[in-house]
Amino acid sequence: MALSKERLLKLYEDMFLIRRFEEEVEVYAKNGTIPGFVHLSIGQEAAQAGIIDCLRKTDYKFPDHRGHGAIALCGTDKKRVMAEIFAKATGINGGRGGSMHVHDLEVRNMGFNGIQGSTVVTCLGTAFASQYRGTDDVTVVFLGDGTLGEGTCHESLNMAATWKLPIIYCLLNNQYAISTHYTEAHPQQQLSTWAKGYEVPSETVDGNDVEAVVEATERAIERARKGEGPTFIEFMTYRWQGHFAGDPAAYRPDDEVKEWIENRDPIKLLKEKLISREGCSEEELQKIEAKANEEIAEMVKFCLESPDPVAEDALKNVYADREVEDR
Amino acid sequence: MSRIISYGKAINEALHQEMERDDSVFILGEDVAKMGGDFGITQGIWHRWPHRAKDTALSEQAIIGLANGAAICGLRPVPEIMFADFITCCYDQLVNNAAKLNFMYNGKAHCPITVRTVQGAGIRCAYHHSQNVEAWLMNVPGLVIVMPTTPYEAKGLLISSIRNNNPVVFLEHKLLYNTKGEVPEEPYTIDLYKAEIEREGKDITIVATQTALKLAHEAAAIMEKEGVSVEIIDPRTIMPLDKETIINSVAKTGRLIIAHEGPKFGGFGAEISAIISEHVWEYLRAPIMRVTSLDVPVAFAPVMEDYVLPKTEHVVKACREVMEY
Repeated sequence: MALSKERLLKLYEDMFLIRRFEEEVEVYAKNGTIPGFVHLSIGQEAAQAGIIDCLRKTDYKFPDHRGHGAIALCGTDKKRVMAEIFAKATGINGGRGGSMHVHDLEVRNMGFNGIQGSTVVTCLGTAFASQYRGTDDVTVVFLGDGTLGEGTCHESLNMAATWKLPIIYCLLNNQYAISTHYTEAHPQQQLSTWAKGYEVPSETVDGNDVEAVVEATERAIERARKGEGPTFIEFMTYRWQGHFAGDPAAYRPDDEVKEWIENRDPIKLLKEKLISREGCSEEELQKIEAKANEEIAEMVKFCLESPDPVAEDALKNVYADREVEDR
Repeated sequence: MSRIISYGKAINEALHQEMERDDSVFILGEDVAKMGGDFGITQGIWHRWPHRAKDTALSEQAIIGLANGAAICGLRPVPEIMFADFITCCYDQLVNNAAKLNFMYNGKAHCPITVRTVQGAGIRCAYHHSQNVEAWLMNVPGLVIVMPTTPYEAKGLLISSIRNNNPVVFLEHKLLYNTKGEVPEEPYTIDLYKAEIEREGKDITIVATQTALKLAHEAAAIMEKEGVSVEIIDPRTIMPLDKETIINSVAKTGRLIIAHEGPKFGGFGAEISAIISEHVWEYLRAPIMRVTSLDVPVAFAPVMEDYVLPKTEHVVKACREVMEY
């Protein structure tokens, strides 16, 4: 069933905004303003925005390693998400986490993780808590094709399926675990078949078609809320950049990259749909884009003007009930 | 009212009482529910609270992962890892997650999990069921490591651990399960992060954990006949450590021996030795000695296992050496 024009416009706004978000992060990562490394999600906006759009504030969200986009859409003040990536005191975690650890419990963004596969078992606990307390909040965990090699995925699916835990496993298959194509690391042609051994319903959908993303996610959420257990969805997508900002990604064939950027850009595809099917005008969409650009410019300004954290705060909250010794 | 019960029974009682007191407490692990645990420690819980006692697949990562996630949501999981040796299978969840959740969430969420597991040698089960693992965890800020020795400690420290908002690794010792001692019937807590001076003395301080405490007491009795007065400290919580009690004791006696069952290199004893050297080396009248097992995997054959473990005579020898120095 097609989504409404209003919803598609909202998704267009979200997707455009997180694309711009990542473009700015890339600029400031490459010029050294952002310390460390960042994993950009440009090209994966449809899956990120589409999945998050299906969730309630009280649902538990575990974005993945390449998750800035999804995190920015969880409901947190976006400029504080960006400030965290900039290592600023105004960051949502006060600068202690950075690109790979942006969490906000207020909106149940449980955060992602520097360890591939870690959240795939941590998410069992939030789903268990829903079941234990008898609420219908679901847990969504994002993972990548590379993550699927981790043993935690097997333990997690096995336990979630046995106990019918309300988890939606969202595998964003961008096809490369750094340089290794998933077909070189896994025997399956489509990774959704991997879940069949656990008797978990699974499917592969076009992760760059936001309508398909939303439809598949909503089906899975409905099952989970009704107590019917987990679902495993593989969203086929592609990351435009290398593994981290600055990785030239020479391991991918040029024509493959070109095909995904030119013909399968999720934002361009949605724009075409809005114009041809929903009768939107270029102007209408440009207005949305201009608004997003403005918002992004404000975020960047906020980040650049924000102070660094206080160095001694690095010692805070190691333990819940005691301080640690300073030097 | 106090009565004499075993260390294993004391732990079981603490679990029952905390389950009764707080609905957010639940147990999970391999064979912990219907069977009541490989060592029988969780017996009776599933019968009273079937939905709060979960038998799991053999999936240590999932067990601790689930516990961490549930803890963020405000539950108080008490997962069991059947043998401490198996924590290698969930090391990521302990080290990279449990230990860091409070820090990651900047204090907005805690990680109130109590990972019960059993360590130690002496049951002829070779190197995969006999190790002492505290040193594997001691280099991980954020974790709390508790090592109870007596039944009284086992119950009180477990209740405190379950009520504590940090991730606690509660290291039981399998040779202590059948040891008996006085334990109050009613629930009670024992302060974490606080060492206990078990025996006061003025010539030598022995800091010892679990099975090594028994060796220390036996050695102290022998040394007493030789006119040497030994002070014995049970750290109870080895991380974060009650340094003050140990430092004060060594400042008084001027001699320190650390005794533990795990290997020597990079062990708990090395850390205590370093702390004392940093703080009160000028009080020392003799080199610091360590009595530990040898730096080898624990072998199966009884004669081999016994050979590598520390014994009372080793503690006595160390006492004589520090007195003669």
